[in-house]
Amino acid sequence: MNPRVILSTAIIGLGLIIAAVPQNTTRPYKVDASQLLVEIKNGQQFINPEEVADMLVQNDPSIQLIDVRNPDEFNSFSLPGAINIPLESILLKDFEDILNQDTKTNVFYSNGTLQANEAWMLTRQIGFKNNYVLMGGLNYWVESIANPQKPSNSSANEELARYNFRLAAGSALGTGSSEGISTETKTNTSPLTPAIPKIEKKKKKPVAGGCS
Amino acid sequence: MGPLAPNEIITENTNLFLAFIVGIGFGFILEQAGFSSSRKLAGVFYGYDMVVLKVFFTGAITAMLGLLFFSLFGWIDLDLVYVNETYLYSAIVGGVIMGLGFILGGFCPGTSFCGAAIGKIDAMLFVVGLFIGVLIFQEGYPLWEGLFKAEYMGTPRVSESLGLSYGLFALMLIVVAVGMFWVAEWAEKKFPREEY
Amino acid sequence: MAEETLQLRKTRYLNPYIAGVILGLVLLAANYFSGRGLGASGAIKSTIVATVKTIAPSHANSAPFYKEELEKHPGNPLNSWLVFQMLGVLVGGFLSGVISRRLTFKVEHSPKISSKRRLIFATLGGILFGFGSQLGRGCTSGSALSGMAVLSLGGFISMMAIFGSGFMFAYFFRKNWI
Repeated sequence: MNPRVILSTAIIGLGLIIAAVPQNTTRPYKVDASQLLVEIKNGQQFINPEEVADMLVQNDPSIQLIDVRNPDEFNSFSLPGAINIPLESILLKDFEDILNQDTKTNVFYSNGTLQANEAWMLTRQIGFKNNYVLMGGLNYWVESIANPQKPSNSSANEELARYNFRLAAGSALGTGSSEGISTETKTNTSPLTPAIPKIEKKKKKPVAGGCS
Repeated sequence: MGPLAPNEIITENTNLFLAFIVGIGFGFILEQAGFSSSRKLAGVFYGYDMVVLKVFFTGAITAMLGLLFFSLFGWIDLDLVYVNETYLYSAIVGGVIMGLGFILGGFCPGTSFCGAAIGKIDAMLFVVGLFIGVLIFQEGYPLWEGLFKAEYMGTPRVSESLGLSYGLFALMLIVVAVGMFWVAEWAEKKFPREEY
Repeated sequence: MAEETLQLRKTRYLNPYIAGVILGLVLLAANYFSGRGLGASGAIKSTIVATVKTIAPSHANSAPFYKEELEKHPGNPLNSWLVFQMLGVLVGGFLSGVISRRLTFKVEHSPKISSKRRLIFATLGGILFGFGSQLGRGCTSGSALSGMAVLSLGGFISMMAIFGSGFMFAYFFRKNWI
């Protein structure tokens, strides 16, 4: 058989396969399962609410809160300065610049920790770094930071100090009131549709090519 | 997971070393295919030797299929593979000038280096011409800068522009190429040349 | 008999379809290793930019093209991927010439024209191709071949423009070739 016939048969065959299968748009896992398991077991994705509150009070520009709940929930209540990336949009390319970067610390939060943790696992598997989960989620945040329980007078000084910090942080962040998110009447302290901050592109790009 | 260099799996120096190795492969195969001969190359325009068309399309299709299958198997991230930019007017005008250069000189840049490497004096002068041409472009840059930068369209793939899937367009291209292979064989029989 | 086989070996080239597949694999390797295609004219550009930068630094700093170029690609222009690749092409072409015994200094031309005419046309063609490749952002390898492999629209336009114009002008220069 002549090479032309062999080649033509081969490329038409391969072409039919490639036309029939859907294009591979899935992004590869960069972190393997065992490494992920180690990270989960250590709970190293969690960040303490006090730490977050402290950074917010200090207006630390390196922290970026990311609300992974749906937009309705986000609009009715969100933490100051948070942006909304619902869980189902977490893998969209549009958000890659925000989610995969070296300069900022991203903190995912949801009502509990479930959704935020899912967001973290997904982004971690495709190799994104500097993403964390707010420990205890919004529920714990409201309990501890927004409406701290006054410890009994017999408590240790340490505990009193923590209470005072939470009280101060809560009022500084404008969430310190008797109303919790459970009542859904909370005044929104952050702008309703906060602008997504322009972040310098850190994404890997094709280096160069062609003859240019 | 490829591509290796943009994914920082290999260092910049390794990348340059691989460029050299890839270049050896490129030069070797061009010469083996007969691309060091201007009369063989120019044959495509008169129908007596369609080797350019056959090698060119087979090469492009092999690489295209390779990339698609690599992507399918998760071996390469196509987003990190360079896609040439499209500037409509300069691509057309530049292409027309290159076509004229091709029929006058009988080489294109890659093949002329190849011809020069095995001692073709016409190829060496073509290379000298290339340097002059590039220098003219660079020195007179302000004169054609407007044309050079007009109608920027980003880096679209043809499949996207036509609204087809990557794979379907690939299949269409393959069918067209196979058709051309048959036409090429026919042309070589119709316009035969003796040994040249 | 021995001479006849030698003669045969001298002119015989690889089957174009097999050569095409190997060329495709080389291009695929370039994409896999470096995320880019092959190229030729870019190496010439880098070489000229480097030369101008060395022998006429003031010109390189003032002329618009070099300024843009040096801003886009800081560092030594000779340290570019394509320069190394083109050095490889010279070596690869030479090796192939050695293996297939095609190493000879000669001017290849149609018996109908003189060597001098062939050389003048080769230089003219080179000048036009060099200019066109810069305007079109890449030559047959960088724009048309590599561009087609990634289905770049620009690559297809380049390919059609180059071959279309080649066919268009072919008639006027037929004496040079056939």
